[in-house]
Amino acid sequence: MFDTVVPETDDPGRARRLYYRSVYAIVTVAIIGLLAGMATGRELIGTSIYCVGVWLGGGISFLAPKLTDVPLQDERDTDLYNRASGLTLGVLFVGGLSIIPVIYVLEAAGRIEAPPEVTGAIFLASGLFLLWGVAYGIVKRR
Amino acid sequence: MENNLPRRREAAGLSQSELAEAVGVTRQTINAIERERYDPSLELAFKLAAHFECHIEDIFQPEDGGSA
Repeated sequence: MFDTVVPETDDPGRARRLYYRSVYAIVTVAIIGLLAGMATGRELIGTSIYCVGVWLGGGISFLAPKLTDVPLQDERDTDLYNRASGLTLGVLFVGGLSIIPVIYVLEAAGRIEAPPEVTGAIFLASGLFLLWGVAYGIVKRR
Repeated sequence: MENNLPRRREAAGLSQSELAEAVGVTRQTINAIERERYDPSLELAFKLAAHFECHIEDIFQPEDGGSA
């Protein structure tokens, strides 16, 4: 794809820049569209732009490296993603293990009353941990 | 891991981009390896060794310089 979009395939740096700029530009337009929709009261149009942009950007970022011989991403990119993901999950695990049981216990004892936002965040974090566990199990068996 | 990749690359008259293209990675990855901020996979290390027609340990050495 990107080696046809960029005629000079002897410049992989240019193809790589085009790839990243395209993905970032599409996702930026999607986010701006969503915010603009919220600001102008046209939520349906905003969310539509967002969904199309995110799927398009995600699709390009996933498919483009598979459809070209130009190294748009390589093992170092994967390593960086893995390390960043591990760090994010580590922070969430430490934060979650520190905070969630405390909130459960204090709420059960009637010491505090957690607002719905906190309850929602706890469910979200729990779901994320569960999803990570399932993904880990799948990756481990492959 | 220490390496002498910059010296070997320059001796071969290659730019980082040219070496990156030859072994199928990005220039940034070659730069990161040369600055010893990234240790390549075994597969990439083999590719680099094959490109310079030497053994992996001729390019890469453990930090302490000793044997494992």
